[in-house]
Amino acid sequence: MLKDFVDKKHYLFVDEVSDWQEAIRKCCEPIIADETVTERYPDEIIRCVNEYGPYIVLIPGVAMPHSQEGGDMVKKTTISFMKLQKPVVFDESDPDSYADLFFTLASCNPDDHLKDMQELSALLENEDLVEELHGIKDENDLLRLAEKYKL
Amino acid sequence: MISILACCANGSGTSLMMDMTLEKVIKQEGWNISKRHHCSISEGKNTSVNYDLVLCPQNFISMFKDAEAKGVKVVGLRNVMSAKEIKEKVEATGLDLK
Repeated sequence: MLKDFVDKKHYLFVDEVSDWQEAIRKCCEPIIADETVTERYPDEIIRCVNEYGPYIVLIPGVAMPHSQEGGDMVKKTTISFMKLQKPVVFDESDPDSYADLFFTLASCNPDDHLKDMQELSALLENEDLVEELHGIKDENDLLRLAEKYKL
Repeated sequence: MISILACCANGSGTSLMMDMTLEKVIKQEGWNISKRHHCSISEGKNTSVNYDLVLCPQNFISMFKDAEAKGVKVVGLRNVMSAKEIKEKVEATGLDLK
């Protein structure tokens, strides 16, 4: 999965964003660029977070931005990666709702999506790997960790 | 034996992650589960009364007040990847897991 991010150019390294909305717009850039999702996709994710709260923060530090499966905004099934050098906070009243690692989901094929999610789950369960991901600087680090962890 | 519904906003991201973590706990602990499903909040609001237990992100608990009033146990999770949290919170409901 980590090597796929690099191979498909589904990754972005960003120093800092002004707020979580900007983080959502940024993390969708790689998948808008190759027409996996339409330009409206980040707006839909932002709408969902505004409505339901920061449920996309899976574990403190790690966000999984996504919207409804299928729909006319999603053309392909994939996951895109973003690393912020400075974490962004989603809800000021919830100290756990911050993230510097973003795994942005796009899904229009339930079978492919399930496979993606199983890989992502295996990756996020590896605490040593997640710890190392919090410290990475560029795509070479992604490739190095892909080799090291075989994930 | 109980039935469990995992629910988040969209039904394909956070709830699926929850369901996959739950699956691991079920295997580890040998829980006896009659039915397991994950879905969106719009579906879950209507169908949650048909389950014994609902798993959802912490801030979704209040959306299941009606189901709770009808006896459905609702468990909110801080970390949907944590098998430990799911195990402890589900056991704390007192439901018969065997």
